[in-house]
Amino acid sequence: MSIFIDRSTRVCIQGITGKEGSFWAKHMIELGTDVVCGVTPGKALQSVENVPVYNSVKEACKNHQIDASMLFVPPKLTMDAVMEALDAGIKKIVTIADGIPLHETILIRQAALEHKAMVVGGNTSGVISPELAMMGSFPYWIKRVYKKGNIGVMTRSGSLTNEVTAMIVEAGYGVSTLIGVGGDPVPGTRFAEFLPLYQEDDETDAVVIIGELGGTMEEEVAMEIVKGKFTKPLVAFLGGKTAPKGQKMGHAGAIITGGKGSVEDKIKALEAANALVAERPRMVGKLLEKLNVLKK
Amino acid sequence: MKLHEYLAKEVFKEAGISIPKGIIIEDINELDLALEQVKIPCVIKSQVLSGGRGKAGLVVFVDTVEKAKTEVNRLFNHELNIKKLLIEEAVNIEKEIYVSITVEPKLAKGLMLISLEGGIDIETLAVTNPEKIIKELIDLRYGLMPFQASRIAYSLGLNQDLTKKLIRLLLSLYSVFKKYDAELVEINPLFITKNQEIVAGDGKLMIDDNSMYRQNRFEKTEAEYKSEAEYEAALEGIPFIQFDGDIGLMCAGAGLTTTVYDLINYEGGTVANYLEFGGPNYKKAVKAMEICLKVPSKVILIVTFGTIARADVMAEGIVDAIQRLKPDRPIVTCIRGTNEALAVITLKAAGLEPIFDTEEAVRKAVSLAKGGTK
Repeated sequence: MSIFIDRSTRVCIQGITGKEGSFWAKHMIELGTDVVCGVTPGKALQSVENVPVYNSVKEACKNHQIDASMLFVPPKLTMDAVMEALDAGIKKIVTIADGIPLHETILIRQAALEHKAMVVGGNTSGVISPELAMMGSFPYWIKRVYKKGNIGVMTRSGSLTNEVTAMIVEAGYGVSTLIGVGGDPVPGTRFAEFLPLYQEDDETDAVVIIGELGGTMEEEVAMEIVKGKFTKPLVAFLGGKTAPKGQKMGHAGAIITGGKGSVEDKIKALEAANALVAERPRMVGKLLEKLNVLKK
Repeated sequence: MKLHEYLAKEVFKEAGISIPKGIIIEDINELDLALEQVKIPCVIKSQVLSGGRGKAGLVVFVDTVEKAKTEVNRLFNHELNIKKLLIEEAVNIEKEIYVSITVEPKLAKGLMLISLEGGIDIETLAVTNPEKIIKELIDLRYGLMPFQASRIAYSLGLNQDLTKKLIRLLLSLYSVFKKYDAELVEINPLFITKNQEIVAGDGKLMIDDNSMYRQNRFEKTEAEYKSEAEYEAALEGIPFIQFDGDIGLMCAGAGLTTTVYDLINYEGGTVANYLEFGGPNYKKAVKAMEICLKVPSKVILIVTFGTIARADVMAEGIVDAIQRLKPDRPIVTCIRGTNEALAVITLKAAGLEPIFDTEEAVRKAVSLAKGGTK
């Protein structure tokens, strides 16, 4: 099994006729994703990779059962596209757009919370269950990174995720589902909000979080463990331990503010919850072994 | 984008917030004219973006013309390369307040903070006396409602006249937050004067970088950057920070670059600059290397592991950059990701020895920086 997306998830792609949309639609389908339809206003007569295209999400919903919507939409138009998907009743939305205005990311998350929906992103590669299905833009063909297995991965980064996941695979493990929550200061869905899904998933035996300085998402994960709501082994890798204070280094979300968000604070919180923190990417696999996580 | 104090105050004034009378000067010769309008005693405030200006001697109170001249001379010759000084009237202060608006990511709201303990470091106060900070969440769909501004203002226990003025100020401050797509607006200190006026003693306005396409009022000028390299990087939209170590970083991906920065420190090396040319900038290898070469360093370390930022495209860009710029220092490459096999071929054909493991690449760069040969 996996979480969020598998072969049975029926996916709509908003922005499917664009350059990015059509390119990644092809790869999503190749991996095994059930892409049932696409939406681009004004392009209803086209089809992309034999997938029918509609003018609106509502119209697509009249013709298809849709479980999730994938947005390949520019940052300026992302809030509108998210609202359209929510309005059509879709509860799982992934947006990769890098550059959504801050105030709009607030409105997107607020709307998602009110609709009891999960919006993943922006500023992310998306969600992938290796060897099964994906919503986003992952080079799943790089087998030393995207290998199926029993480790759930959550991340705020792109390239760093490839780096760390390669080390998980190098140690002999694979990934159940990888979720990029994104590098923006206000991601649509936060690390801790995915933990219940990993907790319930029989095929996820441990979770790795790839975090960095700034914000409080890693501390919230520690809190869920302390409260006993997440009980599987958890390993974290955190970038920016030696970053100079007050310097905006890394993602927009990666800055120490309000006296909160230093890597030291995060390590303290996670270790107090009996999670292990890897100092280097390569250590992540070794710590999973130390926690006796089986390789399967 | 962080605005200088005088620009933030200009925006505040337009929104109806009172500010002290002030004149910007860019040369000592402009001081006399400025002092005709802003009388002695006054405050001379360096327009630099770093915090803690008071403690660093970059904001000074002067009560004679001679002292003003001495200080202006000193500040214009300061090592921080100060370009603008704000000559501002001294205010008769009765009380100092703190007020700011920022975002609250978890609850997806705006967040107003206000405290009667103004003029201090709010982050310290948040730890030592959190009860002295009043917090108000703002629904960005409706904005700060008048009842909220009123509730906050009345809870401070000021007199009726000041309370009414403060309500107006809070609503004005929110209008600035909204209009300028701010990630932070802050007035610290906000003065209550002996004449019972409310005046912004300082002004901070940070505009969200993702909103700059619709916030074109303020332009980046070279004066705001510490070096030519920083200015060029900013114009290209390439995240860049200059340090004073040995290894120039030219990496892709914010998280990966930060991690490589950590690894260099763990291995006992030092970083000359942080440069991240991933995401939308992955085809800008030539520009990125040009900027790196402007920084004194002993070796340039390139680490990538990209998806859309394809390895083959980046490798070609790097080879192109080396051929055009003929770098005077060794280059260590560790290029992985989409089409990585092609990237290796390209790098080898250009005489480079690509490394495939980040830690190995970091160790090699640290060794080269220390005078080693591998």
